[in-house]
Amino acid sequence: MSSVSELRLSRVAHPSAIKSLRHAFMAFLRANDVSEDCAADIATAVGEALANAAEHAYGENLSGLVEVYARVEPEGLVVEVLDRGVFVERPRREGRGFGLRIMKAVARTVSIDHDGGTRVRMVFDARYVRSQPLEAS
Amino acid sequence: MSDASMLAVVKMDGELDISRRAEIRAALAIDGQPAGVLVDFAEVTYADSSAISELLRFRADLGRRGLAVALLIKSPQFKRLLEYAGVSDAFAVFDERADALTYLGSARR
Repeated sequence: MSSVSELRLSRVAHPSAIKSLRHAFMAFLRANDVSEDCAADIATAVGEALANAAEHAYGENLSGLVEVYARVEPEGLVVEVLDRGVFVERPRREGRGFGLRIMKAVARTVSIDHDGGTRVRMVFDARYVRSQPLEAS
Repeated sequence: MSDASMLAVVKMDGELDISRRAEIRAALAIDGQPAGVLVDFAEVTYADSSAISELLRFRADLGRRGLAVALLIKSPQFKRLLEYAGVSDAFAVFDERADALTYLGSARR
């Protein structure tokens, strides 16, 4: 199967859009010969970041976007999930807040910044991905 | 469901993500006092933390009512999700319906 080293997706950050984003991301992983179990795990982690954006980023604003950017780099598969909403620190609620724990269980590193929205950056082990990393630009 | 000799069965399929949170919550709303609850997710192909949150809420409710619950899950992704979230031990999870029913039968004795 031919590999695709880079992916960019953008959709309205609404729960109803998450499934199609996740499926498109899975297709990208399959195109890069990622095994089904690894692809499912990576898509799970990315799905959690997408769900957070859909649930929290924009409040009542139903037109805000969530973007996914994935790129095969020497350090591994780098995935960024971005929104341009307003981050609000929320109190911990019983039985909630598993998304970050799941992301950290799957990704080698997870970093989050809230500068002008929320950017979740995850790096997954290179061994998951058989395509060649992009040349540095 | 009000007959204490009967099990309640909740069955869902497909992908249980954030877009189906309300549907999951409604499906897990068990009335009455059944002998136990079988949550049949055998045909669920994907789940995210929304499903976990609703299952934990459900488990707490059943615990208050003294009801046992068994989860039938076949999707490897769903099973790993429970591990990654650190809640595997919170549920009795089974691959086979017969095993789940045996568990519920023993739990009510």
